[in-house]
Amino acid sequence: MGAAVCNWCKRLEMPIIVFAYLALIPLLSVNMASEIIIFSIYALSYNLLYGFMGRLSVGPMLFLGAGVYGAAMCCVYLTANPIACIAAGIVCGALLGMLLGPVTVRAAGAAFALVNMAFNQVGFFMIQTGLAGWTGGSDGKSLYFDPIGPLDFNKPNHVFGLALVCLLAAFFLMRRLTESPFGIIIKTIKENERRGNFLGYNIYGTKLLVYVITAAVSAFAGALYAIMFGYVTPSFISPARNIEVIFATLIGGRGNIYGSLLGGAIFILISSYLPNIIQRWELFFGLILLASVFWFSKGIPGIMDLFGPKKQDVNASAKGGLR
Amino acid sequence: MISVIAYGLTLGGILYIISIGFSFTFGTMKIVNYAHALIFTIGGYILYATLPRIGFYPAAVLAATLGVIPIAFIIERFVIRNLYGESVDLTIIATYAVFLIGLDVLKWIWGSNPLQMSDPINKTFTFLGTELPVYRMAVIVIALALAILIEIFLQRSMAGKIVIAGLEDKETVRGLGISVQRYFTMVFIIGSALAALGGVLYAPITVVEPYMGFQILMLSFAVVIVGGLGNWRGTFVAAFFLGMVMSVTGRWWGPASEVAVFAILAVSLLIHPIDI
Repeated sequence: MGAAVCNWCKRLEMPIIVFAYLALIPLLSVNMASEIIIFSIYALSYNLLYGFMGRLSVGPMLFLGAGVYGAAMCCVYLTANPIACIAAGIVCGALLGMLLGPVTVRAAGAAFALVNMAFNQVGFFMIQTGLAGWTGGSDGKSLYFDPIGPLDFNKPNHVFGLALVCLLAAFFLMRRLTESPFGIIIKTIKENERRGNFLGYNIYGTKLLVYVITAAVSAFAGALYAIMFGYVTPSFISPARNIEVIFATLIGGRGNIYGSLLGGAIFILISSYLPNIIQRWELFFGLILLASVFWFSKGIPGIMDLFGPKKQDVNASAKGGLR
Repeated sequence: MISVIAYGLTLGGILYIISIGFSFTFGTMKIVNYAHALIFTIGGYILYATLPRIGFYPAAVLAATLGVIPIAFIIERFVIRNLYGESVDLTIIATYAVFLIGLDVLKWIWGSNPLQMSDPINKTFTFLGTELPVYRMAVIVIALALAILIEIFLQRSMAGKIVIAGLEDKETVRGLGISVQRYFTMVFIIGSALAALGGVLYAPITVVEPYMGFQILMLSFAVVIVGGLGNWRGTFVAAFFLGMVMSVTGRWWGPASEVAVFAILAVSLLIHPIDI
């Protein structure tokens, strides 16, 4: 793509995204479209950690759950104002990220993945059993949010509008973040952490900041989930569901913010419609996952490259050597 | 007090039996094997299925332990072997996918309801005024016997020595003209059989359900990290230490037992970070 085409694309990308999601409503339903949008916000945040920084975490549900439960507890015990609840959810996620980040970002690779999963397991356990007196345990709690003026988030259309605005905000944040000099440091951590350290960048601080941003944006998506569904259960923090967002990021293409939108939509569609066709859909989900690791590890953008015009890939040989 | 210590040792023994295979796969091939949790669960299910037909507990244990070997071989041949040299994140996702596939097959065959099993020995004995189930003591004895067998295997046999050398430096061993791959496959299969044995021994203490391996995997990961990567003696000490921690904190407040293990894991990572 030439530079001129790129500039033209960028100016129009926000309207195109809005139009694409509005077009989903007649095809699917308002609720399904909202779910896709919220899941895409979650996938965007995870893509920053895994796609751009190269740190696979098997515990992002912890931060989603922090947002869900932060918003829900705010709604039940403090105020039912939805905006205040979203803020409470984000603050919960960010604080949890700041608390766990100094421990987790010291690890890399497999240790990072599994330490996050361990904390996710602890969080799940605390929500389900430890703090069951407040959170409602495995029964969960149902929520009712007050309307603000003409906006009533108990109506699906209003939730859709809120989710779309939030998605645009998250998308804008991720685009600015990954294209900034800070974003280049993030990619440096993925490619060669030691060299970044040697050049004098604050690698530890960057990793911690990325971890906290991921936590906060995941919690943002979680708070929106709480508003959309109107109830909370421990399934929103269950470590068994971590694979969903990993799948979305892998299939959409790692390190590609459009990929998160695509992967998020694909996952929600698969998980909603495949069970209607095949009862054992998790089996097929596992097979798709296995196939995408072995043959399409670059996700859908990689598949499209196969059919598109041949590009000169300067980095291909270098990347193969660095593994 | 005595019953708390005895339960801690039982848990430690089971954790050791499960973790040793995980530790070797992690240490030699640098692969986090989620499928290990699957093998563990399959062991429990095979015991559940064979025990009523055979009727003799040790024979059912043997059937379950040997029964998973073909499954472990298939996983090694078609998934793990193709992952050598891949980046860590892809190996985690691939073995997780195997775990999901296996889990769904288990649910297909046996359903997702928890299945209860009874204590196979169902006798107790009195020690210092405390009644203890014989079965739990048997688990401790089996774990200790296995630890001694593994020590002998690693120190005395050629294969064991090659595995130790592979833990240290795989490339040099390969440079000496030894096909490391074959020995790693062997260790993988032995480790999987032990995981199944762990599942078999754990099943009568708790219930058999598809997700039983999930939690155990986290605990055995904690054991491997606290004990030191690729350090089989450290794994032994860490397993019994963490089993004891779980038992003592569980006595004080049930939900705290896992939290304490993961807190120790976090402290251990803070003291010396791992990057693999």
